Amino acid sequence: MELQLQDVRKQYGEKCAVGGVSANLVPGVYGLLGANGAGKTTLMRMICGVLKPTSGSISLNGKTIEQLGERYYTHLGYMPQDFGFYPDFTAREFMLYMAAVKGLDKRQAKKRTEDLLQMVNLSDVADKKVKSYSGGMKQRLGIAQAELNSPSILILDEPTAGLDPKERVRFRNLISDFAKEKIVILSTHIVSDVSYIADTILMMKQGRFLLQEPMSTVTDDIKGKVWELLVDERTAAEYSRNFSVVNLHHENNMVRLRMIEETAPREDAQIVEPSLEDLFLYHFGEETVKQEER
Amino acid sequence: MLVKYEFLKILRKKSTLIVMAVSLILTGFLFGLPIMQYQTYNQDGVIKGADGIAYEKGQYVDLSVPLSEEYVAETIREVQGLFEKPDNIGYDGNEQFLIGDAYWNGVAPMEKLLNLIANTYSKPNEILGYNNLPDLDIKDGAFFYQTMEEKIQTLLNNPSRTLSNEQKEYWSSMADKVDTPLQYGYYEGWEVIISSFELLMFALLAVCIVVAPVFSGEYQAGTDAVILSAKYGKTKLTTAKIVASLLFGTAAFILHIVVACGLPLAAFGVDGWNLPLQIANTTIPYPLTFLQAVLINIGIIYLVLLAMVGLTLLLSAQMKSPYLVLIILVPVLFIPMFLTPNGTTGAYNLILFLLPYRSTMPEFSKFISYQFGGLVLDTLTVRAVLYAFLTVIMLPLARLGFKEHQVA
Repeated sequence: MELQLQDVRKQYGEKCAVGGVSANLVPGVYGLLGANGAGKTTLMRMICGVLKPTSGSISLNGKTIEQLGERYYTHLGYMPQDFGFYPDFTAREFMLYMAAVKGLDKRQAKKRTEDLLQMVNLSDVADKKVKSYSGGMKQRLGIAQAELNSPSILILDEPTAGLDPKERVRFRNLISDFAKEKIVILSTHIVSDVSYIADTILMMKQGRFLLQEPMSTVTDDIKGKVWELLVDERTAAEYSRNFSVVNLHHENNMVRLRMIEETAPREDAQIVEPSLEDLFLYHFGEETVKQEER
Repeated sequence: MLVKYEFLKILRKKSTLIVMAVSLILTGFLFGLPIMQYQTYNQDGVIKGADGIAYEKGQYVDLSVPLSEEYVAETIREVQGLFEKPDNIGYDGNEQFLIGDAYWNGVAPMEKLLNLIANTYSKPNEILGYNNLPDLDIKDGAFFYQTMEEKIQTLLNNPSRTLSNEQKEYWSSMADKVDTPLQYGYYEGWEVIISSFELLMFALLAVCIVVAPVFSGEYQAGTDAVILSAKYGKTKLTTAKIVASLLFGTAAFILHIVVACGLPLAAFGVDGWNLPLQIANTTIPYPLTFLQAVLINIGIIYLVLLAMVGLTLLLSAQMKSPYLVLIILVPVLFIPMFLTPNGTTGAYNLILFLLPYRSTMPEFSKFISYQFGGLVLDTLTVRAVLYAFLTVIMLPLARLGFKEHQVA
């Protein structure tokens, strides 16, 4: 199975949300990383066929979404970011409704609903109205509905946003369970979420893929460029202004800095193993700071 | 299955129950008002409510007869006879009227019938009462039905109507189909219904309010992405939403009709269902009984409702919020309330009589017709065709609107 994106572009007037993205995706977990506004959600909506690209095409095994019609959607499971529920439906009713929309017959719908509610640990509250659910419970119901039709393409847009750390771990494990032999595209700006489960990293910046690399080699580019050093607070402030500092950690009266530089910023700086977060901050550091300032 | 779920989605909302409850109570109140306010009179004073209705019905026992030429002539003669005795006559400075027993025994029990007869002989736009009957010369007979036909001709030839020959011919031949002699009788319940049809506008609005979120509610709640990316999201689900909306509209409409017609018919009885419309106004050209007339108009209002549901769904598929849908719909439904026709012909009036509010009113006696080349159609037919057509046009457009919706 191969999902092909060929020069996919989405333009809103003058603004280019996604600008000519191409990729061939085969089964595996793809972590789609990018700062807010990078075009991740727009790209996912186009892959899910709910937003038409301005140009380019999206194909599954050589046939475009338009050519496949309903058949494309039978392969698809989608959990959008902040998607709503029907507050007056119970979780079970919502699942059965979604099963009907996905074309499952009555018997299948019941079985999948019960299995998935069990899997996401919502069986005990399945007859409670969704409006009474916490954020984490809603997210779990969200992924359960995406899995109803056992899709071969699973698109998850910021599935862990707003969850506490415990829920996030739980959610990551769920995604891993569901990911077998599927194309899973997991969009997030929480780097640690994808670093545990992604096979491939797709990094987006300003509507384009900045890199498409296997997780095992994604940080190779910055290998030997990530440094740690212990400095006093005055120096830390100076380094923060002049170097690409990705982390600061206060230790007694000193500050441990982590920075990405081509050469050692100081003689006593030590090279450390780069992480995905280092890579993310290396590419999006300024954007992330600007967004936080906003 | 999908239709069932979509229907449930509509029904489960608290707002649906509230809107429907308010609308049904309002409809019940408005159609119940004529019952609550009903009063009649006899020599002893005012008789209200159920007693008044029973008294009035009793008066009609002797009046439930065919209005033959002889009966009409005899009735006129009786009134003329009463006016011949000076003791029976009162005068208010303008006109003469009967007083005392002459009025209470001779006129009051059949005043509605006497007014009907008197007005058959009146000129267009002139309203006469029983006290004009003495002016009629019926030495050679009443010529009631000839007068009725002539009056229709006079109305059709009235220059202010500017009807074409084809239109005049259409109405004349329709009026010719009215069976004579007319059978008279009690028909109060049906009259209340026919005169109150426009009050069903609130029911139409209520259905539109409930249906407004069918598509736009998905956009507003953010559920559009999930359902549109599912197998049947752009196909069967869209159809199911439309079918569920129509089913809901139909169920709500039936409920309102049961209330709107049930109350007057329960209070006044179904008497008169098989009587001709002409016993309410002899210039009505439609050869229909009260029951037929009510059913036809209910059918037209139902078609208006379906078209309004179609329009609501079309707007709902295009707009991000149900409130935006209602901002457009409410004026469409209610602005025509404030537009008054200045006649029954001319583009302005002809359009006005086709707008949703006016389309709920049957306007049986107004000779409103539409000519397309040599084809002449009455307003009831044109309304039925127009709203059926609009429904057929708007529902596929609504379907397309949702199918093509872009989640952005």
